[in-house]
Amino acid sequence: MFDWFYQIQWEYLYNPELAWQSVPLLMEGLKVTMIIALFSMFFALVLGLLIGVARMSKFWLFKLPAKFYISFMRGTPLLVFIFILYYGLPVIGIQFNSPIVAGIVGISLNFAAYNAEVIRSAIMSVPRGQWEAAQSLQMNYPQLMRRIIIPQATRIALPPTFNIFMDIVKGTSLASVITVHELLYSARIVAGRTYESMTMYITAALIYWSVCVVIGFFQQYLERRYNRYLNKQ
Amino acid sequence: MMINVSNLKKNFDQLTVLESINFSVTKGEVVCLIGPSGSGKTTLLRCLNLLEKPDDGTIQIHQDQLSFSGAPLKTKELIRLRKYTGMVFQGFHLFPHKTVMENIIEAPLIVKKYTKKRLVEQGAQLLKKVGMLDHKDKYPDSLSGGQQQRAAIARALMMEPEVMLFDEPTSALDPQLVREVLKVIESLAKEGQTMIIVTHEMNFARRIADKVLFMDEGFIIEEGSAEQVLDHPNEPRTQAFLQLLDDE
Ligand SMILES: Nc1ncnc2c1ncn2[C@@H]1O[C@H](COP(=O)(O)OP(=O)(O)OP(=O)(O)O)[C@@H](O)[C@H]1O
Ligand SMILES: [Mg+2]
Repeated sequence: MFDWFYQIQWEYLYNPELAWQSVPLLMEGLKVTMIIALFSMFFALVLGLLIGVARMSKFWLFKLPAKFYISFMRGTPLLVFIFILYYGLPVIGIQFNSPIVAGIVGISLNFAAYNAEVIRSAIMSVPRGQWEAAQSLQMNYPQLMRRIIIPQATRIALPPTFNIFMDIVKGTSLASVITVHELLYSARIVAGRTYESMTMYITAALIYWSVCVVIGFFQQYLERRYNRYLNKQ
Repeated sequence: MMINVSNLKKNFDQLTVLESINFSVTKGEVVCLIGPSGSGKTTLLRCLNLLEKPDDGTIQIHQDQLSFSGAPLKTKELIRLRKYTGMVFQGFHLFPHKTVMENIIEAPLIVKKYTKKRLVEQGAQLLKKVGMLDHKDKYPDSLSGGQQQRAAIARALMMEPEVMLFDEPTSALDPQLVREVLKVIESLAKEGQTMIIVTHEMNFARRIADKVLFMDEGFIIEEGSAEQVLDHPNEPRTQAFLQLLDDE
């Protein structure tokens, strides 16, 4: 009944030597991963802010397209969307000059929808009294947004935004299927050559994890800064 | 005339909250607005501050006038009158991410573009007056309700409004904190600040009011001196309301 257990070949579980040797290659991959992640997060934030604001608008010409966009992007797999961009668009004559660009575009557009929802709900969760107090002090919309609402919404949006950032870092691995030479792709090359799949994918996993741990520290730092004014007793 | 309101109407969908409001306030006058819950006191103050858009009538404040009977007004026009009034809310609504000093200089800094140096000096004087100078670097979250409300009063005063509007400034406070806030308001009255105060504190109204307005069901039913309205009301509805308060 436990036969399968005795058949495990432990000697192939992890080959530290191979892992160590492939570090330079994996680091090259990580560089590409981080470039895609950082650009994607940046564009996804900017676009998410615009879509989130449009989504909150009372004007249907802004609101409905934003709603539709969010619904589509949240309801379709990122991988399918990347396929549409990289394999679908060339069919109709639109070609990306590099798969990295396709990856960044795909990830940005997709995660912008999630950012839009986070930004919208954070802004809406700032109490009405804050808007009214600012208005009664003669602030106009841009002034009260910038000075009163957005700083408070930022505090609320920080944790979910960092979740999205980690999702983006992990989501970049999907770009490997359109031949982007990022972290997972590099690990796969070595795994294919050496048949040490276990070692290589565990190593890749550990590297993704480390990146997310660092991001988590950054999140903690920012949260502490933004929570400074809350009275902890 | 500092304020002149005539035939002011406000509906929320089907519900008519203000039927036809008429009253006026002279410069330096302290007006207390009383009336049962739901009679539209808050709505009236919010209309004066243009946080609500009236449906009909005219509001004149400090030689400026808006009429709501014609074509709908643009937001910019609508909020033109806002610069004459300062609002103090029941729930304070200080900006939690700013210290007391930052709270009170924020609006003049970015709306009026005054220099920070000048505002900090002016702010310190004002905070001293409301007894909050010692707390100027604290965040609202670490202050008592009474302290927050005094800071909120200073914040509204920093914009140097012609008229201060108070919406039940003490009704969210613990009883022992009410006095410190009322004292600040009384000191403003002594300085000749024009004010409209919605309050349930009848003794306070007696001390401070030059005029008392009793509101019910969208009208101002009775107005006069504190003595007339609070001690010798003519209208049965005023009598009933005051009776009810006494019974509590
Ligand atoms: N934004 C709104 N939408 C719909 N109805 C509203 C709104 N604001 C107020 N009302 C209604 O208008 C009526 C008057 O409300 P208002 O707050 O002005 O009364 P009030 O005299 O201030 O009462 P209270 O003494 O309880 O504060 C109430 O019936 C209230 O439910
Ligand atoms: Mg009220």
